[in-house]
Amino acid sequence: MTRILISSSANISDQLVEYFRAQIREDPDVASAVAAIRSLLEFLKREQSETILGLRENMTKAIHRLEETDSSVAVSSGGELFLRFISLTSLEHPDLSQCKNVMIERGELFLKKISLSRGKVGKLCHTFIKDGAKILTHSSSRVVLKVLENAAADNKRFTVYVTESQPDSAGKLMAQKLCNLNIPVTVVLDAAVGYIMEKVDLVIVGAEGVVESGGVINKIGTYQMAVCSKAHNKPFYVVAESFKFVRLYPLNQQDVPDRFKYKADILKTVKDLNQEHPMIDYTPPSLITLLFTDLGVLTPSAVSDELIKLYL
Amino acid sequence: MPGADKETDLSERIESFLSELKRCGSGAGSLRGSAETARETTALLRRITAQARWGNAGDLMEIIRKEGRRMTAAQPSETTVGNMVRRVLKIIREEYARSRGSTEEADQQESLHKLLTSGGSSEDNFRQHFAHLKANVIEAINELLTELEGTTDNISMQALEHIHSNEVIMTIGRSRTVEAFLKDAARKRKFHVMVAECAPFCQGHEMATSLSKEDIETTVIPDAAIFAVMSRVNKVIIGTQTVLANGGLRAVNGTHTLALAAKHHSTPLIVCAPMFKLSPQVSDTPVQSHLHDLVKLTSILSKVNAHGPVFDYVPPELITLFISNIGGNAPSYIYRLMSELYHPEDHEL
Repeated sequence: MTRILISSSANISDQLVEYFRAQIREDPDVASAVAAIRSLLEFLKREQSETILGLRENMTKAIHRLEETDSSVAVSSGGELFLRFISLTSLEHPDLSQCKNVMIERGELFLKKISLSRGKVGKLCHTFIKDGAKILTHSSSRVVLKVLENAAADNKRFTVYVTESQPDSAGKLMAQKLCNLNIPVTVVLDAAVGYIMEKVDLVIVGAEGVVESGGVINKIGTYQMAVCSKAHNKPFYVVAESFKFVRLYPLNQQDVPDRFKYKADILKTVKDLNQEHPMIDYTPPSLITLLFTDLGVLTPSAVSDELIKLYL
Repeated sequence: MPGADKETDLSERIESFLSELKRCGSGAGSLRGSAETARETTALLRRITAQARWGNAGDLMEIIRKEGRRMTAAQPSETTVGNMVRRVLKIIREEYARSRGSTEEADQQESLHKLLTSGGSSEDNFRQHFAHLKANVIEAINELLTELEGTTDNISMQALEHIHSNEVIMTIGRSRTVEAFLKDAARKRKFHVMVAECAPFCQGHEMATSLSKEDIETTVIPDAAIFAVMSRVNKVIIGTQTVLANGGLRAVNGTHTLALAAKHHSTPLIVCAPMFKLSPQVSDTPVQSHLHDLVKLTSILSKVNAHGPVFDYVPPELITLFISNIGGNAPSYIYRLMSELYHPEDHEL
C-alpha cells in the first residue's frame, strides 16, 4: 500500500487522484468502482471539515475530480453510492466526530463486502454454463473472466468466442487471459457477431453500469450483440456487481450523458464531439434475459426494485 | 422411554412419506395432486417441529434442512416438497426475529441499502433460545396449512373476472385448479371449452368428462390440432407443475406447443397456479429427463428409440398472466413474490 504524506490541504484532491491511480496500478484486477470508493474513504479519513454539510460538499468535489480522471460509469456509480452512504450515516448520527468514526468503520466493512462481490457473481453464474457450451463474450470483462474461471475449475468443457472490440482491441487481452486458463478461445471481428451467432449457445457480457430500467451500459458493440442474440433466440446474460447500479434512465442511445460516452481527456480537449467515437452504448432491458449480481439472479425488472430500496 | 418412542414414531413417519414420494414418480402420471403433497409435507414438518429434539432455532433449521434434502432427493420432480420446506424455514427465521424484537423482519433480503447501512456483523446464527419459539412456529405452520387448504377456492373466486359469456377457452391435460376455476365460472356464465387430450396418457379425456358433468360444452381435440383450432379460441387457461423464478413454467408436455400457438394468434395465455408451486429454480433445461413409459409402442421398441419427456419448459415471454391465490400477476413480477416467500439463503437447501 503506497503511503502519501499530507503536504497541504489544498493538494488533497490531487493526492486523491494519485491514490486512485496508484490503486489501479498496483492491482489491475480491482474494479474501478472499488478503487474509487477506497480512495474516497481515504479522503474521508484525511479531510478536515467542521460540519456535515462541509463534509458533503468536499466529498462531492472529490467525486467530480475523480470523474474527471476516469470518466467511466463505474466510477460515477461508486461515487454516488459513497455519497448516499454518507447521507444515510449522517442522518443517524448528527454529531460530526462520532459520525465520522461510524462512517469510517462502516466504510471499511462495506469495502470488505464489495471486494467479495465478484466472487459471489462468479459462483452464481457458472452453473448456467453447461458442458460443451459455446459462449460468446464482448471485449474484456474481469467479472466474465471470473465466471469462466469458476466454470473451468468445475471441470466443464466449453469454448469461448471473444470480439476484438475496437478501438482498443481489449478483446485480444481477454483472449490472452483465457488462454492462460487453458480455455479454448477464438477472437472474432466486431463485424462478425452476426456471422458467429448461429454457432453459439449463449452470450455473457459484463457491464460498466446497470441502469434503472434494467438495461446496461457497456463497451460499444454490446447493443449490437444483444440485438443479434435476440434475433437468433439465444440467451443474453449480463454479469455485474451490485455497486454498478446507477440512477440513470436512458430511453435511447442519445440519452446517455456525454461524460460517460467519451474518455475524460477527449471531453476536455475536443470541441466537436460529433467527430469522436463513443466508447459505450446502452442495451435496453427487453434484450436481456437475466442479470447475475451479488444480490442474486435478477430479471431486468427486479433491478429498479433494488435501486428503489436503496434510494428510498 | 417415551422420548425414544416419539423419535422412532417420527422417523417411521418420515420414512413412509419418503417411500410414498419415491413410488409416485415411477408410476404412470401422478397418483396425488401437488396440493395434497404440499399439505402432507407441511403436516410432517409441523410434526418434526413438535417432536424432534432441538434447543434453538439454528438446530431446528438444520434438522428441517436435512429432512428437506432427503425428501427432495426422493422425488426431484415434485418441487412442492422443497417449496414447503423453504416456506417453513422462512417462518422459523421470522418468528426468531420477532422473538428477538428486531424490526427488520421485512428486510431480510440482501440489498444495496443493507450493504451500506449495516454496522457490524449481519450474521445471525440463530443460537439464542426462546421459550415460546416452538409454540409460535407451530402456530405459524398451522396458518400456512389453512392457507394451503383455501388456495383452490381463492383461485376459483377470480374466475368470473376473466371468463365472459360465449367465450371459447382452451386448456390442455388435466389440472384440478383449472377444473375448479372453470366450474366456478360455469355457475354464472355460458362458455365453450376445448381440451387438448395430452397424449400418451390422455388426461384431457378425464378433464372433459368432469367438465361436461357440470353442463359445460366441451370438445376434445388431439394435440396435433392445437394450432389449427387456435384461431377460434379467445383465451388459453392452463395449470402447471412448477412456476420457475424467472416467470417461466415447467408444465406437462405439449404446453410449450400450446403457448407458441397462442402467441402466434395473440391469444392471452393465463396460468392458474397456487403460490406453493413457486420454486426458486431458474433453469430452462430439465434437471433430469423424466420419461413416460411409452407402453403403447411395445411392438416397435425393439427397432427404434422412443423418447417421451414428461415436462416442457415454457419461457416467460409467452405467458400473459399468472392467477394465484393472492391475485393476478405479470410474469415479470414473479421474482418479487418469490423474494417474499423464501429467504435467499434457503434457495439451496
